[in-house]
Amino acid sequence: MKPATVKPFPARSISALVLVFLLAAAGLPARAAMSRGFNQLLDAVVRIDVRELAFEAGARRYSASIGSGVILSADGLVLTNAHVASNRAVELNITLASLERVGAKLVGWDHWTDLALLRIDMDEVKRRNLKFTHADFGDSDKLYPGQTVYAVGTPYGLSRTITRGIISNNNQYLKDLQGVNGYETGLFNTWLQTDAAINPGNSGGPLVTEDGKVVGISTRGYSGANNLGFAIPASTAQRIVAGLVRDGVITRSYIGIVPKELQDLETFYSLAANTGMLIDSVDSGSPAAKAGLRGTDILLALNGAKVDGRFPEQLPAIQNLIASQPVGASLTLTIKRNNETRDFTVVTEKLESRVGEEWALEKWGLSVRKVSRTFARERQLDDETGVLVIGVQPGYPADVAGLSRGDVITKINQQPVNSLEVIKAAQAAYEAKPAPTLFEVQNNRRVSLYILKP
Amino acid sequence: MNVRLFFLSALVLVPAALRAQDLPALWAERTKCIVAVEYVTETETDRQPSISMGTVIDANGTIILPSGAIDPRAATWQLKEFKVYLPGDATGSPAQYLGQDAFTGWHFVRADEKIRSQLTPVTAFALKGPPPVPALAEFVWGLGLRPKDEDFAPYLMESHVVLIQSLPQRTAIAQQEVAGPGLPVFNQSGALIGLGASAFGQTYLQFGSRGRGPQQVTLINVEESMAFTLAGEMLPYLGRIPKNVSGRPLAWLGAYGLEPMDRDVAKFLKLEAQSGAVVSEVLEGSPAEKAGLKDRDIILALDGKPLPQLKPDRVVVDYIEREIERRAPGDTLALTVLRGGERVELKPLLGEEPKLLREAERKYFDRLGFTAREFVYGDAVERRAKTSEATGVIAHFVKPSSPAAIAGLRPEDWIKEIDGVEVKTFADAVAKLGEIDRDQARAEFVLLVSRGGETAVLRAKLK
Repeated sequence: MKPATVKPFPARSISALVLVFLLAAAGLPARAAMSRGFNQLLDAVVRIDVRELAFEAGARRYSASIGSGVILSADGLVLTNAHVASNRAVELNITLASLERVGAKLVGWDHWTDLALLRIDMDEVKRRNLKFTHADFGDSDKLYPGQTVYAVGTPYGLSRTITRGIISNNNQYLKDLQGVNGYETGLFNTWLQTDAAINPGNSGGPLVTEDGKVVGISTRGYSGANNLGFAIPASTAQRIVAGLVRDGVITRSYIGIVPKELQDLETFYSLAANTGMLIDSVDSGSPAAKAGLRGTDILLALNGAKVDGRFPEQLPAIQNLIASQPVGASLTLTIKRNNETRDFTVVTEKLESRVGEEWALEKWGLSVRKVSRTFARERQLDDETGVLVIGVQPGYPADVAGLSRGDVITKINQQPVNSLEVIKAAQAAYEAKPAPTLFEVQNNRRVSLYILKP
Repeated sequence: MNVRLFFLSALVLVPAALRAQDLPALWAERTKCIVAVEYVTETETDRQPSISMGTVIDANGTIILPSGAIDPRAATWQLKEFKVYLPGDATGSPAQYLGQDAFTGWHFVRADEKIRSQLTPVTAFALKGPPPVPALAEFVWGLGLRPKDEDFAPYLMESHVVLIQSLPQRTAIAQQEVAGPGLPVFNQSGALIGLGASAFGQTYLQFGSRGRGPQQVTLINVEESMAFTLAGEMLPYLGRIPKNVSGRPLAWLGAYGLEPMDRDVAKFLKLEAQSGAVVSEVLEGSPAEKAGLKDRDIILALDGKPLPQLKPDRVVVDYIEREIERRAPGDTLALTVLRGGERVELKPLLGEEPKLLREAERKYFDRLGFTAREFVYGDAVERRAKTSEATGVIAHFVKPSSPAAIAGLRPEDWIKEIDGVEVKTFADAVAKLGEIDRDQARAEFVLLVSRGGETAVLRAKLK
């Protein structure tokens, strides 16, 4: 059997849905949980229609998708997934439980936890005298395996749909999640796993208890598996919502260690049980690398507090602890290396995504993304100079000259490309007075020259 | 290939006047200068036989095989049981592998004394004086060898020259297949005119049985080639028989990632009627570095001779590499480079190529399930490591389902620590791994490996 892959569910292909008519007369659920709280919750669940801009293949392309969301406050805050609504969204429309449609704006998004916060256009709500209710968070830390939960949302764009299941695991660890539109995700939280049916389009909808409290945000499912759905716990979501309301972004600290569970290695490293976390790798050029840390070091304590990373599901909390330190803070890491134990001081820096800002240079048929610090380190580039080619349009100057996806443009007409502005200005100059333009491009350490011609 | 059909069509196509009356006789005589060479590549867990075609070049039974005949990653001590088969004869006789010449790319093999009398060097068919250059449309013919189960039967191919190009060697392209790769090509009077090159890829459209397609596919005929390098690219170099099996001495410049440029770029850089090549990186401690070559310099001329404009653009890189390989360590190769608009003259003294991957020491540990390979210069280059600081060994081979494989070790992983102890040298690693391998009481071992710039702690269970 092929291993199933975890996928986010943007409901892209509604037309592909095949309706299957079930002829069996289904009996009513033994216990319909129609508490007042539950009814209120239902009225707080919305459908979100998103129009997104992408800079693919050398042009601006718009695409549409559908997700779910839940209204959190009387002033119109809506929580959903980052893979539903991101910084790429250009138009957001909310369909309320009353089936009225209203516009919304992005307050902020956080791909690391796959959450995004929107605000309904309250002027429009007042003008049209629209009504909605809002939902409250429950305590996701008190959930227990076997507890009944409901997933509410608009799978495949169907109007509000409730599915029922149980909490299959209240602290699930998922590794190697495919990112949120290429952005990293999942390092800082564990997941609620449920067998309530979660389908594409459910993304961003709430997972609720019988009293209608939001305990999670439905986010992912295993494609090709049965009833393996995953939700971001409310405890994580509440923190992110507060941060996004306050700052519009979530700022995290980074030191550059890749953790690994110690499971079964305690004896090898002569450690007491439930002590320490293995450092699998240290990112080159990172604060931890500068401080002298390296793979196979064991992290025993962080700022004096003991660390226990025996099992994989304990790692996100440790990562989150590091991430929640102020940027620029000095951390004391107690490290065991072979038979020695000593403290290392690591100064945190701001966590950055590997995905930089994107743009399309349509005259050249060239889509680019700024090289970020993280990307430069991963690719072992000398520095952050350059823009990565993420797409070329066939037949346009960039394609004709020979540029291709994965190239890093380091210089244009001998000038270093250290920001998107440089390449935008170069294109503007080309547009004003078309002339052959020299590109210096690096790919896999090979440096080539190309001429873009009018 | 259907030999009979081929002959029939050739008779129809070739005007009678062009065909030499004695072609069968010439052919029979010249089949004595070709052989099939078989050898075995021995790896940790299996033996891989390979067969290639070769041409006899002297009275000592020396045979040249094309460069692709042997996998460049294979260590020379892994190449065993060389055998030479005469055309039409299934009983091979032992032969000796002499090594590869970097400049021509040829592998040299020497046939056993017993059969040397049955061989004729190809030079016997070379004209005196300057080697002939075929004219366009000239009739040419060459030799092929059928597979082993057909006793390596020799056969004849005929064609006409349709194009002559510099790749960078002067290469003739015939209308259809004219010789096996590495086998000679002759003109109408039977004079040596070239040597079959490796075949070019040809593009075809493939249609699926259920109406699918067409899909573009590239096919390469490995048995017969339409291209041959001219005799002038072959005869002067027959004396380049390696002095030892490693093929050393090998000249080394240390300019990494030479990238060609197209005409538009050359024109932009005001390079009229010549070409250039970008040096992506200058390698640490190399002759190029010592001479002051810098990353992103553009090479314009070698020994004062401007780089020619060759097609495809890529060929200029081969041109430069051949100019280096043609020379010996200690020779000077003067470079003219373009650096930020200025022309700079450099005089690097070529050095000796650092230890190659195929020369790296290796040791296989069967119980652990992998081969440790000495960390050589090329490994450091590939991993962007400073060669001066490089320690550790490389996992050269990982046996499937072995403890090492189950732990997640993969070929080309860079092993930096064994059981928490830093690996300094290959000897260190072999001692440590040997100890673990022999210790039957051992339940596990731990490796720190580096892969793509990231490390990972791998735990291998032996019990």
